[in-house]
Amino acid sequence: MDSYHVKQQFFLGAYRALADMKLPDQSSADFHSMLLYKARAFLALDDPKAALQVIGEDDENVTLRAVRALSKYTSVKEDTEKEAALEELRDLALEIEGEDSEHSEKDKAFVRVLAATAFVRAGETEEALETLGTDTEDLEAVALLVQIYLSINRPDLAKKQFERSKKWAEDDLLLQLIESNIGLVTGKDAYSNPLSFYTEQLANPSLTSPHVLTSRGITRILRNEIQEAQSDLDESLKEQPGDAETLAALCIAGTLGAMKPRETEELWSDFCSKHPDHPSVVDVAIKSNLFDQVVAKYTVPPIPAA
Amino acid sequence: MSVMLTKFESKSNRVKGLAFHPTQPLLAAALHNGSVQLWNYRMGVLVDRFEEHEGPVRGVAIHPTRALLATGGDDSKIKVWDIRPQNRRCLFTLHGHLDYVRTVQFHHEMPWILSASDDQTIRIWNSTSRNCIAVLTGHSHYVMSAQFHPKEDLIVSASMDQTVRVWDISTLRKTSPNTSGPGGMSNTNSGGFETFDSFSTVKHVLEGHDRGVNFAVFHPTLPLIISAADDRVVKIWRMSETKAWEVDSCRGHFNNVSSALFHPKHELIVSCGEDKTVRVWDLTKRTAIQTFRREQDRFWVLASHPNLNLFAAGHDSGLIVFKLERERPAFSVHQDTLYYVRDKYVRSFDFGTGSDIGLLSVRKFGSPYMPPRTLSFNPAERAVLLTISSDNGLYELSTLPQQAQGEVKDSGAEGKRASGQSAIFVARNRFAVLNKTAQLIEVRDLSNSVVKSIKAPVQTNEIFYGGTACLILSSTSSVVLYDIQQQKTIAEINSPPVKYVIWSADGQLVALMSKHTIMIANKTFSQHSLIHETIRIKSGAWDDSGVFIYSTLNHVKYCLSQGDHGVICTLDNPVYLTRVKGKTIYCLDRSARPRTITFDPTEYRFKLALLKHNYEEMLYIIKTSTLMGQSIIAYLQQKGFPEIALHFVQETNTRFELAIECGNLDVAMETAKTIDRPECWDKLAQQALKQGNHKVVEKAYQMTKNFDKLSFLYLATGSTEKLSKMQKIADARGDPMSRFHNALYTGDVEGRIATLRDVGLHPLAYLTAKTNGYEELATEILEAAGLTEADIDDVPDFGPSTLKPPPVITPTTDLNWPLVPAGENFFDRALANGTLEGIEPSTYANGDAGAGAASSALDAWAREEEVQDEVVDEGGWELDADAGEFQSAQDDEEPDAVSDESELGAGAAPGVDETELWVRNSPLAVDHVAAGSFESATQLLNRQFGVVNFAPLKPLFLSVYRASHVYISPVASLPPLQIHVRRNPSESAPSRVLPVAARSLQSIRAELSEGYRSVAGNRLAEAQMTFRSVLHALILVAISSDDEAKEWRETVTSAREYLLGVSIELERRRVAEQEPDNVKRNLELAAYFAHCQLQPLHLQIALRSAIGVFSRVNNHTHAALFARRLLDLNPDARIAAQARQRIAAGERNPRNAIDITYDEHTTFDICAASYTPIYKGTQAVRCPYTDASFLPQYAGQLDPLTQLTEIGAAASGLPAAW
Repeated sequence: MDSYHVKQQFFLGAYRALADMKLPDQSSADFHSMLLYKARAFLALDDPKAALQVIGEDDENVTLRAVRALSKYTSVKEDTEKEAALEELRDLALEIEGEDSEHSEKDKAFVRVLAATAFVRAGETEEALETLGTDTEDLEAVALLVQIYLSINRPDLAKKQFERSKKWAEDDLLLQLIESNIGLVTGKDAYSNPLSFYTEQLANPSLTSPHVLTSRGITRILRNEIQEAQSDLDESLKEQPGDAETLAALCIAGTLGAMKPRETEELWSDFCSKHPDHPSVVDVAIKSNLFDQVVAKYTVPPIPAA
Repeated sequence: MSVMLTKFESKSNRVKGLAFHPTQPLLAAALHNGSVQLWNYRMGVLVDRFEEHEGPVRGVAIHPTRALLATGGDDSKIKVWDIRPQNRRCLFTLHGHLDYVRTVQFHHEMPWILSASDDQTIRIWNSTSRNCIAVLTGHSHYVMSAQFHPKEDLIVSASMDQTVRVWDISTLRKTSPNTSGPGGMSNTNSGGFETFDSFSTVKHVLEGHDRGVNFAVFHPTLPLIISAADDRVVKIWRMSETKAWEVDSCRGHFNNVSSALFHPKHELIVSCGEDKTVRVWDLTKRTAIQTFRREQDRFWVLASHPNLNLFAAGHDSGLIVFKLERERPAFSVHQDTLYYVRDKYVRSFDFGTGSDIGLLSVRKFGSPYMPPRTLSFNPAERAVLLTISSDNGLYELSTLPQQAQGEVKDSGAEGKRASGQSAIFVARNRFAVLNKTAQLIEVRDLSNSVVKSIKAPVQTNEIFYGGTACLILSSTSSVVLYDIQQQKTIAEINSPPVKYVIWSADGQLVALMSKHTIMIANKTFSQHSLIHETIRIKSGAWDDSGVFIYSTLNHVKYCLSQGDHGVICTLDNPVYLTRVKGKTIYCLDRSARPRTITFDPTEYRFKLALLKHNYEEMLYIIKTSTLMGQSIIAYLQQKGFPEIALHFVQETNTRFELAIECGNLDVAMETAKTIDRPECWDKLAQQALKQGNHKVVEKAYQMTKNFDKLSFLYLATGSTEKLSKMQKIADARGDPMSRFHNALYTGDVEGRIATLRDVGLHPLAYLTAKTNGYEELATEILEAAGLTEADIDDVPDFGPSTLKPPPVITPTTDLNWPLVPAGENFFDRALANGTLEGIEPSTYANGDAGAGAASSALDAWAREEEVQDEVVDEGGWELDADAGEFQSAQDDEEPDAVSDESELGAGAAPGVDETELWVRNSPLAVDHVAAGSFESATQLLNRQFGVVNFAPLKPLFLSVYRASHVYISPVASLPPLQIHVRRNPSESAPSRVLPVAARSLQSIRAELSEGYRSVAGNRLAEAQMTFRSVLHALILVAISSDDEAKEWRETVTSAREYLLGVSIELERRRVAEQEPDNVKRNLELAAYFAHCQLQPLHLQIALRSAIGVFSRVNNHTHAALFARRLLDLNPDARIAAQARQRIAAGERNPRNAIDITYDEHTTFDICAASYTPIYKGTQAVRCPYTDASFLPQYAGQLDPLTQLTEIGAAASGLPAAW
């Protein structure tokens, strides 16, 4: 695999393939960047230990240090430890800003992206936005920015950021992905852009990523094409059994009529027990409590005795 | 000639007759199985079928000008049909022939039908009088065909007697100049044939065939006849006034020749035969040019289109429609000149001047019958490279003369030729030639010597110019961009075989056209979009602005680079687009003549501007273009610019409606002024009220002189000053009610008293005065009424009144509180201000001025009312009230829009969550549930349906909520993004988005049917659960139309009835089991169950159960009653017999052993709590959701059926959310 494909796979969520990838020779020009992607793939798979193992002990390189800090951040549980990892990233972000810093623009952007990722995870949206800046010419940073804007319900800003990046970015796969992400939220033209993007990527012979299938399945849910969505999701599950995102989406497709209610409920409770931390599970639990609270305001009159 | 282009093929029974429609793409085919098919060969669909003949149909003809079809069959009948789809039927049948009818034909101008039959006669029928007007006898065997001469009064016939005969019918025309035949004709019809012989004479008898002749036809212009016969020969005959003779024969068919035709335009003959071939012959040389062979099918019939280069042939298993040569002219465009080939001459056409001159003859290039296929032009050398398909593919390179010379030279002298299937210039001094069999691409220089030879990387069928040093290779399933210098594939796109390639003027975009697809790609093929057309694509050209214009068989269309496309105009016949400039399309027609089509590019220019966010251009288009159709408005709405759509509508009424729809009060106001009708002002007032713009409301009320509402509005906004003015106006109007209202609103007690006194309500006036402490006034009133305190000492003392209007806390009068967010963009502002320059801040009147204007309006109005006799001049005060206040309203909104500008980066404030929009957009509880707003959802359910017990709904709440939100993680390691699933994916306007309908009414109805099945299967406990769950689900279903709401109500009602019925029956069973002595109750419950509104099938079960229970305890009268009702339902014979027995028993024994509470003669509802009857006229309370009835004592308790609602609670019902 050459670095071009590695990048594409990473963006399209083929993390498993990257994690399993064999790194080229240390002397190869691509070695460093591929190493980083491999480590980040482990991180994306929520396996920070493996990521730490991959990057080794090198302390010189700022990018490796960033990866290490992010890995630490995701692996530790204690708030103090997390805060320490965040501080480390903050320091790194400062270090690269220095007047006399010798780091290349690419490395700087890389560090900022990782730092911002951690900030978002810590809920520090504003800090993440500040770190990334608005004038970045790094598409990964733009992807991050756009998702942040989308998550705070500002698709208008996301679009603006995207339009700006179109001016300097070549028509990259990542750029298309960003556009497609915006389309998912705004629902413009009945989600035709994301749908065709994912469909195109599925037809791409040099790439296979079940994540793309899942994404298309989700897009189809949004398009109310429930049966088609189910088939995409089922197929994706065949390639990556137990994938949380796919299962969560399948539950939704099921509730919307793809499956019988009982099957759906079984799937959902199974999902809840296996992925108690998935945001949908957490969210529904919150709503369940909310329901009880709200309902408590009503007094239920007696049922008439027959 | 090596091409015979099949345009259409059908599979069917053997085809014996064919006829083209003269103007529409229709073809009639007579089949051996008795059916006549009408095909649309362009769309490839069977349009209609005519099936009344018994046995094979051989002859078929379509009327040259009318929608008529004639058919003749082996049943000896000729039928005439109306083929218009709406009146398709057999108009009449002509009887007379005594054997198979072989051919039929309409005369080109007289109302005549010609038929040939195996009864050895040819007949002519008048289609108006429907009589036979001539019988031509003379043939001594079957007559196989008869055809009118296209111009003269002649008929040619072919017969099994081996002769071809030419008949003169000029006398027929003379004797029957009118449409109707001689009057006595029908009388003599049965007499014999001799009568008619005087009308027609045999002019020539052509003998020469050795076997029976199958077909003979006249040449359209020359005095020639061809005939096709079983001796395997096609013969050509010439005739003069006096004689006819054989000219020559075309030999080649090795079995019977069934038919032969002259080519309508070229000197060619087409024939077909039982040797499974269609052959093309040169008429002058009598040599075979082309043979088209089929493996299995013998050919029986040929037909040619009267105007087009189109033929049809019928064979054993269907038919084919084909062309004999390509019509697409070879051409190439360079700057302002079109180089093209017509009639084997290379010509140039100047788009600017329209000069069209022949430059070079290419007559000797390839087959003389075939035009060149492609032309490539080299401007540097002024050379052309032509290819032709004959001789297995040839190309020729020749130079064009610098100027048109007197005599056009032929390329044969100096042209350089060689074989090759595809040849194009790739550089100033190089061209590439494809050798398809060797799959070799040769690059040659201008002296025609090979400089480079490349093996094609894919199976290549055709090559095209691919940009500098590149080729585009068209393969069967892909198209490849290939670099000749590096000999490397740059890109490959999957595509159906590409037939034509058109580059945009700047060379940035390329259109790759196949039969049914167009792919627009950039120059590196890295980005592309695909358009599908069901109709065949013919040609295309780029507009200067980068829009691709293309033609299909019947349309000219456009497509934008991102794939958006639409129709520009329709075409009667295909054209080949060569260039698009401004509003003109230049094209070549089927005979390669330059033509132009003028069209309106506004639509696509507008879309292009929209796509590029080029608002200036859009604005310009909006302002300058006059005609904007409904489609563009729909397009804008679909693309999420409903506000912009508003600006396209000129018609004031529509404009007003649209403005109201998108809440644009400014425009609504403006248009309302123009329309100035009360309904409009009312609507405007309503909308403005919704948006909280009370100033507009005020204006609208003023315009309609809606005094009451106006006063109330002033009360609501706390505008005391204006209220007192209203009071003055009311005084002036002398309307006591209005005066009273205004006095009440202003808290003017004296005014109120005065009003009451004025209208003579002294007691009220007195009391008002008294209770408000106006003792003197009270006494005065009393005196005026001629009473004293003593007279009214029986009036109780009411104490002092505290009634007064609430104090004004917020001076709302001067404020507008816009509730609908002002999502103004550049465009809105520009349009609202009318000009682009208007974006600069202009001077606005401030809010106070507006208010001042409004009150001065009132002053004027008050004055006006005072002088009542004067003509009411509404314009007078309207001027004052006019612009000011609306400008101020605009002023308020402006800063919001500006501050909304760029805030990218860390300061970005969170926007509105979609769930909030859902809550805002819908009054349906289910939508609030989906949004996760459980609080408002429960409130809604409580208010709308009186729901108090929510616990059973919890799983539904959670599953609806869960189904409306989906998570996706597009960026690694970030928390997933929550996306909200919408009901209508094509709706993305924030003011209209709604959550997905988690459960459809349909699926709930399916569940209801499941309940029905449980009832039929006697699984009542299960059924009870199902019906209850159905009722639970129904309370959380999204309804979107009146029809759906109706269906919803019906579903609720039937679920409720079944739930009630099933509950009663379950109770009865419990009673029967646990209290076996309580027979009375058992009987009652059985009777009530039979009274639920069930479907007949289930009602039968209930009735039968009741009959059983009642007869068992000897309540025969009741049992008989149920049996009668059972009989009304038309049950199964066996059950019906039992029922009759019961009735008989009841009559024998008209007694009821046990007395029960059941009055069958009075209508009753059943109390769903106590299961006792509530007779009509007695009091009942109802479930606010299902409308189930209860005895009054159950009010306030929980509905036992649904277990959701409070019995008898007040509820507003299902809100209309659509």
